Amino acid sequence: MVGERATPETIESIRKEIGADKGFAAQYLGYLKLIVSGNFGRSYYSNRDVLSDIAAKLPNTIKLAFAAMAIAVPCGMTAGMIMAYRKGRLSERLFSMISIGGLSLPVFWVGLMAMLIFSLQLKLLPPSGTGGLRFLILPAFVLAVPALSSLARVAAATIEETMGLPYVRTAKAKGLVPMKIAAVHVLKNALIPIVTIIGLDFGSYLSGAVVTETIFGWDGIGRFTMEGIIMRDYPVIMGCIITCTAVFVIVNMLTDILYHYLDPRIRFHGQDR
Amino acid sequence: MPRLTILLFRILCFVLLFAFVSCSARNRLDDYLYCRLNSNPATLDPALITDVQASVIAAKLFNGLVKLDDRLNVVSDIAERWEVSKDGRTYRFYLKKGFLFSTGREVTAQDLKYSFERILKHATKAPNAWIFDNVAGAKSFREGRTGGVEGFGVINHYEFEINLTLPFSPFLKMLTMTPAYVVPREIVEARGADFASNPSGTGPYFLDSWMPNQQVVLKRNDRYSGGAARLKGIVFRIITEDLTALTEFELGNIDILLVPSSAYQKLKNDAKWNPYIESIQGLNTYYLGLNTSRPPLDAPVLRKAISLAVDRKKILETFYEGRGRLAEGPVPDLLRTWGSDKNTKVIDYNPAMARQIVKEHGLTGTRLTLYVAADQDAVDLAEIIQGYLADAGLTVIIRQLEWSAYKSAINRGEPDMFWLSWWADYPDAENFLFPLFDSANLGPAGNRTRYVNRDVDHLIEQGQHSVEQRQRDRIYQKAEEKIISDAPWVFFWHKTDYVIRQPWVSGFKGYPIYNMDKGMDVQLRKHNH
Repeated sequence: MVGERATPETIESIRKEIGADKGFAAQYLGYLKLIVSGNFGRSYYSNRDVLSDIAAKLPNTIKLAFAAMAIAVPCGMTAGMIMAYRKGRLSERLFSMISIGGLSLPVFWVGLMAMLIFSLQLKLLPPSGTGGLRFLILPAFVLAVPALSSLARVAAATIEETMGLPYVRTAKAKGLVPMKIAAVHVLKNALIPIVTIIGLDFGSYLSGAVVTETIFGWDGIGRFTMEGIIMRDYPVIMGCIITCTAVFVIVNMLTDILYHYLDPRIRFHGQDR
Repeated sequence: MPRLTILLFRILCFVLLFAFVSCSARNRLDDYLYCRLNSNPATLDPALITDVQASVIAAKLFNGLVKLDDRLNVVSDIAERWEVSKDGRTYRFYLKKGFLFSTGREVTAQDLKYSFERILKHATKAPNAWIFDNVAGAKSFREGRTGGVEGFGVINHYEFEINLTLPFSPFLKMLTMTPAYVVPREIVEARGADFASNPSGTGPYFLDSWMPNQQVVLKRNDRYSGGAARLKGIVFRIITEDLTALTEFELGNIDILLVPSSAYQKLKNDAKWNPYIESIQGLNTYYLGLNTSRPPLDAPVLRKAISLAVDRKKILETFYEGRGRLAEGPVPDLLRTWGSDKNTKVIDYNPAMARQIVKEHGLTGTRLTLYVAADQDAVDLAEIIQGYLADAGLTVIIRQLEWSAYKSAINRGEPDMFWLSWWADYPDAENFLFPLFDSANLGPAGNRTRYVNRDVDHLIEQGQHSVEQRQRDRIYQKAEEKIISDAPWVFFWHKTDYVIRQPWVSGFKGYPIYNMDKGMDVQLRKHNH
């Protein structure tokens, strides 16, 4: 903050200014008071207002999270259905292999490979930066890969399980067309575990994809947190953590509420049992 | 069902393809130079800058009284000329007439007084206020006992005088540093803390926009008093990852890039890029610091044994791929105005003698802690050193720490040995002696090996106050001799950096000190990237 050759008086005056001279309890209470008043303080390093920086970066992270989900959910579900309906055939094995790969490859490797292929070789997309759609595709794709893979596997397993249930057999016996059985009877009832996975992934994306954002220079919460940690910029770190926790809790709460609509057997406390 | 999945799949492929194709257009500002910064600058207020990134930018936004030329000589900047009194205590600067701030106002001696006093003012919290330590009245001003610094004298509109308490020969060179830039009072006071993110100065460029963590854009200042820059502007893109930056460079989205060490061999061996790599001989010294303040390394004999045990030359040639010049002492070759001398030769590799010393003094098996910052190069190097010292009969325990934790551990004197480098703030041998070896600077101020030798202190200080260059050379040579024989460091090398540029960039030059480049001569040829 003041360089290594700072005088003891300067250091002392800064300690006083940020309240480091007070006891632990007083510092904690001071911080709580600050947050309650809607303020995360100022960055030690850049002296910028943390809350307004977070407010500027959160939309980028949200954009990235939605883009990743927009890729992961349709692709994952499609792959899951193919794996379930084509069990034992070549296509099932192929998709199964790909999804295991997607789950086990580290994000930084996928990111660098995607950058080398799509940016350096094919020259289709910019390798880094924050901006419109063309900047969004690569990081969103890289972020979507593991979610897509886990989604495909869970979808395949639950769809397969649901297909064996008596009501599906009944539906078949009633002579319904396979498309309708798949959409109305199977898919809807297989949704609970799928929604859980989507909710968890989405929540973690919203709290910042540190590696992806850093590799692709995407100016979101994840990279902001990382830089705060490297610089030991405590107001930034705390501000980011509080924001991310809040986002994660909200997304999970929304997921829980969604369960009720997907499966009316799930009720909330206080309703009749 | 299969029909549904196939349909979904097709739609998805189509959407992705469309997105790819529609996105391949590029956007670059015409006639702007694109550079890379590896982190976001913390501030652009010259009074507060401590990092290289910000200094590189500030050099293009501001000017000082004097600056450095290509050969590291002090030359005129805002001051047209200057006179130094015979006793070396009074500097009188004659300012250029009509030197303008980018707002159009003329720079006067009052602006210099304001800018320099601002650095010393307590409320500014300037980290580099030490550059004015020797100015008469600086101390009492800092302590709030006086309203102004008596050593900063405004003679008239265009004459400014600085009085020192003692003759101090590196002073003029210190005035080329970032904190000694001139700032316009009315804007600093109007913008308050925001001056750091929205600065305004006298330089060849002015700040057009700064999107933190994304980019800093400078635009040419057409009113610049030192002539017009050839570029329309400069874009500094903030890219943390080396590989990402390299990809951007290979795509032509970045024009000039400091070659990351991991990519050096690849680019050097690539016929396409090899002609565009330039070396910059840095003003720096890399060293293994030995904690002289406590056993076991308070014994000079063990320190010498360590110096004898390590083959610096081989490490430089193999591990470091020859990216540096072997150190002959703490002072870099470029600043060694007294030339090489056989008497000051650093201790060379002699493993047999090292083993013998260790054995004779019963030091076999001595355990030494070696701290390194958690970067792969430093860790690899620590293991190499560990190997050499094991051959000499010493046991080295390596501890890897995150950078800030590492810095505070070595500032406290926790490890026996540590790996570090020192980079010049101003081009004078004194900058490699006083902060690093004078006992007034123990710990964070630079002397982290806690080396205390009263004779050396005396020589260094004598050199600071002596006015005649040849006399200074003799004094520093003597100081260096003593330091080398006490071996508080194992002197490794002076690192050479490499910069790669695109074929369409011309007039670019790498400088040994980060704030020397004002971005005046670089230009871009018409190209189709």
